[in-house]
Amino acid sequence: MKTFLALVAGAAVALAAHGASAQTLKTVKDRGTLNCGVSRGLPGFSAPDAKGVWTGFDVDYCRAIAAAVFDDPSKVTFFPLSADERFPALQKGQIDVLSRNSTWTVEREAGLGLLFSAITYYDGQGFLVPTKRNIVSALELDGSKVCVQSGTTAMGYTQDFFTANTMKLELVTVPNTDELVKAYEDGRCNTLTTDVSQLYALRLVMKKPSDHIVVPDVISKEPLGPVVRQGDDQWFNIVKWTHYAMLNAEELGVTTANLAEGLKSQKPDVKRLLGQEGAYGEQLGLTKDFAARIVKAVGNYGEVYERNVGTGSRLAIPRGINQLWSLGGIQYAPPFR
Amino acid sequence: MAFTLKILSRTMLLRVGAFAFGALTFGSIAMAQSTPVPPRGMGATMDIGDQPGREAPADDEVSIDPAYRRQPVYFRTTEAPGTIIISTNDRFLYLVEGNNRALRYGIGVGRDGFTWQGLVKVERKAEWPDWTPPAEMIQRQPYLPRFMAGGPGNPMGARALYLGGTVYRIHGTNQPETIGYAVSSGCFRLVNSEIIDLYSRVPVGAKVIVRQAVTL
Repeated sequence: MKTFLALVAGAAVALAAHGASAQTLKTVKDRGTLNCGVSRGLPGFSAPDAKGVWTGFDVDYCRAIAAAVFDDPSKVTFFPLSADERFPALQKGQIDVLSRNSTWTVEREAGLGLLFSAITYYDGQGFLVPTKRNIVSALELDGSKVCVQSGTTAMGYTQDFFTANTMKLELVTVPNTDELVKAYEDGRCNTLTTDVSQLYALRLVMKKPSDHIVVPDVISKEPLGPVVRQGDDQWFNIVKWTHYAMLNAEELGVTTANLAEGLKSQKPDVKRLLGQEGAYGEQLGLTKDFAARIVKAVGNYGEVYERNVGTGSRLAIPRGINQLWSLGGIQYAPPFR
Repeated sequence: MAFTLKILSRTMLLRVGAFAFGALTFGSIAMAQSTPVPPRGMGATMDIGDQPGREAPADDEVSIDPAYRRQPVYFRTTEAPGTIIISTNDRFLYLVEGNNRALRYGIGVGRDGFTWQGLVKVERKAEWPDWTPPAEMIQRQPYLPRFMAGGPGNPMGARALYLGGTVYRIHGTNQPETIGYAVSSGCFRLVNSEIIDLYSRVPVGAKVIVRQAVTL
């Protein structure tokens, strides 16, 4: 009986959530603010600054969606969520979108009833080594002593990678990221491994960051991007095309600084993107100029990247795999036409 | 030495100038406290003339932002290993190494570097090149010498790679702080330690591809 009641209750919750989620855009507009799930503080991706203002790469996606809907990037309520809290918060309808360094996997779509809208950041496990080791490829790590955080998927990936490439490995496991840096700086290992974005963050807290280099190879796939609930195609499209608008803007050379000039452009691609031609924004449920609103609020993809995690930030993560497909990376957006 | 300035694309310079608006992040704010220079990054500019006679610091790498130091990076391309790809918009020079990687060097881009894009080849290489500023440069910066022998105070820096059929070159500098910026003159400049490194890796005949930002 208990089980039965729980089932009924569960179904009711699911129905309620589904009912609400089918009109996310309307809900957001009626509420007057976007409820956006972010991390509890990850430098470069989502963290409150000294004045409590949320900034970061993931945060800019919340602001971009708010700009698309309201033409006002400040109309966001941020929900700092732990790793355990993030998906239930989305499932229950507490947040409209989750923009919190979450990896797209089949389990999360098939099992949790969620949809990843796009890959905004290609992350993956990499290696950090002392510059003086002169290593430029992960295949040169034979015989390395590798520090890794225990209980993470990085342990298994490291073992698999070394075995697959017939390299000798000495694994040094530590309980948390603080210990990871300490063990490495104390010389208990000569290589440090975790996701590349985190390697750059850890390098910042080292005594002399420039003495260490992140090897360009990535040995696992950690595609990150904003997540929505299943069952609301309109909202899914809005979140997805927010990212694609930012990528297309970069590809077409539209920036925060030259937006006014862009709105007068005679190039068909630029006119379609910025809503001077066609009505794609309206068809998405937004306004014709939604892409222009996004660029005005946060900039194009490259600007968002460089400001938060790239050359304009202390992290200084190279664009690498996240560069546009036409410039050496794999970021690729369908066109506006 | 033939060195003529091409007519500058005004739109291009305006756009580049406009790029330089401040980046408001925890990163740049924190950096601004320790360094008075404007934040580098996508499309940053620096209004600085040549300073002939000024010697670059011996360890010039120390003055570069870590992001602009030579480093191996992921780089997917169909170009052959050994090809140089210069991306003026983000201030990087890539030396293609194959297998989805490249050596990336931070560069400063002078106004001459913004006037042209396409494919050329390294025609000639020189160590500590002499410098004969063209008339247009003398007009702009009348204090410049008419000729300057190669050496540590020379704006051409430690090495130069001359790009065939053009007035363009990839060279060193005596102003390492200009790396990561668009600067008022010159073509593509690297700090001396890095142009020395690049010089040793690139033979005469190497392909050089210059890419500019797209225009609206």
